[in-house]
Amino acid sequence: MFRYLNIWFFSSLFVSLIIIVPILTVFSSFFENTTNYFEILKNTFLFEYTLNSICLLVSVLFLTFIIGTGSAYLVSFYEFPLSNFFKWALILSFAVPPYIYAYSLTAFFENYGTAYTILKNLFGEANYNSHIPKFDGMLGSILSISFSLFGYVYILTRASFLYQSQQLIDLGKNLGFNSYKSFYSIILPSARPAIVAGLSLVAMETLAEFGAVDFFSINTLTTGIYNSWIAFDDLAFANQLSFFLLLFIFALFIIENLSRRKAKYHFNSRGGFKRKEKFRLSKSKALSAFIFCFLVFFLSFLFPLSQMLYWTIKFPENLFDLDIINLLLNTIYLVFLSSIILILFSLISNYGNRVSNNKILNLLSTLSISGYAIPGVILAVAFITFIAWFDETIIKTLGFLSIKKIFFGSILGLVLVYFIRFYSLAFNGIKSGYEKININVDESAYLLGYSKRKTFINIHIPFLRNSLLFVGILISLEIIRELPITLILRPFNFETFATTAYISASEDLLEAAAVPSLFLILIAAFFIMITSKYILRDNNE
Amino acid sequence: MKKISILALITSLFVSAIAVANEVNIFNARHYKADSELYSKFTNMTGIKVNLINGKSGALEKRILSEGADSSADLYITADAGRCGAMDAKGALQGGLTSAAIKDAVPKSFRTSKWVGIAKRARIIYYSPERVSGAELSGMTYEGLADPKWKGRLVIRKSSNIYNKSLVASLIKNNGKKATAEWAKGVVANMARTPTGNDRAQIMAVAAGEADIAVANTYYLALMLSGKKGAEQQAAAKKVKAFFPNQNDRGTHMNVSCAALVKGAPNKANAVKLVEFLLTPESQEHFTNNTFEFPMIDGVSPSPLVVNNLGLDFKQDMKTKLASYGKNQAAAVEVMTAAGWK
Repeated sequence: MFRYLNIWFFSSLFVSLIIIVPILTVFSSFFENTTNYFEILKNTFLFEYTLNSICLLVSVLFLTFIIGTGSAYLVSFYEFPLSNFFKWALILSFAVPPYIYAYSLTAFFENYGTAYTILKNLFGEANYNSHIPKFDGMLGSILSISFSLFGYVYILTRASFLYQSQQLIDLGKNLGFNSYKSFYSIILPSARPAIVAGLSLVAMETLAEFGAVDFFSINTLTTGIYNSWIAFDDLAFANQLSFFLLLFIFALFIIENLSRRKAKYHFNSRGGFKRKEKFRLSKSKALSAFIFCFLVFFLSFLFPLSQMLYWTIKFPENLFDLDIINLLLNTIYLVFLSSIILILFSLISNYGNRVSNNKILNLLSTLSISGYAIPGVILAVAFITFIAWFDETIIKTLGFLSIKKIFFGSILGLVLVYFIRFYSLAFNGIKSGYEKININVDESAYLLGYSKRKTFINIHIPFLRNSLLFVGILISLEIIRELPITLILRPFNFETFATTAYISASEDLLEAAAVPSLFLILIAAFFIMITSKYILRDNNE
Repeated sequence: MKKISILALITSLFVSAIAVANEVNIFNARHYKADSELYSKFTNMTGIKVNLINGKSGALEKRILSEGADSSADLYITADAGRCGAMDAKGALQGGLTSAAIKDAVPKSFRTSKWVGIAKRARIIYYSPERVSGAELSGMTYEGLADPKWKGRLVIRKSSNIYNKSLVASLIKNNGKKATAEWAKGVVANMARTPTGNDRAQIMAVAAGEADIAVANTYYLALMLSGKKGAEQQAAAKKVKAFFPNQNDRGTHMNVSCAALVKGAPNKANAVKLVEFLLTPESQEHFTNNTFEFPMIDGVSPSPLVVNNLGLDFKQDMKTKLASYGKNQAAAVEVMTAAGWK
């Protein structure tokens, strides 16, 4: 028993404990009496929140499926104008978080908005407002989330298409399948695990979405949790909602994990397949393919980018009001600090799993990746609840000074909750990197007299370089866009691009929100561009 | 060596400055550029550093409450009297805003010993002069918004909006919960659309012909007229006129931005100084000219944009205590939700 108790075990145990705390906090208060609020209204709300969440989820899944697999299919199998450009340009959509997309939609379509201005400049003064469609409320939320998140489906599906067996497709051709039939009966089914994995990521993010739905005042389970906690002081009701939400999410989480396993099996069996040839499309078909991809690219990236740019130019005074250098430094600071800590602990856990091959350790690390499934708002609320409880009942009883100041409104608390939320990104990213290093490599190294430490530093790290870079970028993107955790836990005089944009927008100063939003998009797009080849996995083989 | 320096760097980043400084910590839910300009001015005058944490009122309140006695908050500044009242009800505030400077400046119904109003706004009716006649509006009250003659002609924000909660809370205070519940049903029946968008969007809906009357705060129209929101909105604002309800009885519903003194404030004296500073004529003038709110103190006039377009001589409701907004907030939410007010 005691032979398990080594440094790897303790570090994994430590990580799991940190992550399990908020989950336990949520579940422990499920059976508490809910106070301060009226039972009947609560039931009304519960129904409305659940219904809205389901409506949002189903619509977003449908849209992201169509956009994601559609564009992935076109760029993987066909050649048409700019198809190689679209291949990576479509992932730029990740640079636009749903809440900034929501600001752009409103800015463009609202009464006397940008669309009105364009029409007025083209055709002269008239009342165009009643003819301009309004994308707000539920519809606005669905569009914002879909165009911001379809990239998950696109990336995973495309990777799966890329390695699909050419023989299989040739076989379809020999059987006389036309391209539609081979798409439905061969290509799509064999990419299913990847599509499901992409869709479940979208689903988790949709359920966790806070900024956009809050902006459009749509009550979902997640905003419901926030509101019942904040407006009604009803932590217990908030936690009950969280419980429902977590049930949803854990189901998705399990689906995602299962399909990932299948997807892996699928990827691994690709050896020996011949490289796929792309079809050159006939003129009219090439045009349709081009239009589809261009529309997706335009709507998901160019549209929000140009709306924010337009506003920045139209209201330039906002540009000078903002301490951009400071915001940039704060954002970079959070990105680096969190990336370093996340990567460090994931490396330790992964390495520990590899060298000790311990079942308990494996279970612990599986537990500790569940943080990603929990919305940031809930994590932040649970974190505050837990620390306040811990401080009141244990620390103060023992006669120590309060620890609240260490965790509330401090960078430590902020990074800690980021850690809980994004640990699975780092852990899984490094894990998939490790899986590519054959265990024989380690054994050969030991035979050559390398110590464990030397093996780790001189052999593993160089092998893992690409994975580490990829993980670093993923974490950076998440943290640049992150809103609810930063909003609730950040220290005095500390803003990021995301919080500045959110606060201006919530104060009905959308024009002022344009400047930080623009910078956020540009920085995130820069990160994506320099690493697109890692994200697209073209280079990994 | 490298490792140690990195480690030292990280630790030093985590440990916030513990040294006691001459400062005041504000949990701030008002995010106007004008405010930060005033805070810089205060720092220049007094040498007291102003630390800000910006956020929405709810989240800030939660942080103050969770931090409890250990909270670093001195002042909580927000744009709704109901929020200050609610914080008071939770025992999170302390008395102390009782200096002569404050008492002389602010009328009694706009302050308690724990929080004071620093700028006023009225929640009024906007109408389209093309589609609404003077006779129709004559003697119009908030109560009258439920009149069936407005069926399909009214726009107003969601029930989750804080300004609506305070307005409904004041109606509960004046007319009772039962009457207000009936009123809410009438309002919902009159709505031209499911509530969506902010106050400015309601005004623009009237300008665009989606509705004939809208309920929104005073400073939004001035903001649009100022051209700060672009030429299109400036033109739109000119298509809409302001009407101050309840002129024949208690007066128009007033709300304030308020500054509240947090219990256990580590820099209490500095906090009081800052509140006094915000109530000086210079600061008040800065507010009125930039945020287009009404001044809290006598002797300062609102921005010309407000005076010329909204009028100055209207009867303000000075009778309904602002503290009642916080007390009746839960009931207001209940009433609106029960009426199906989205």
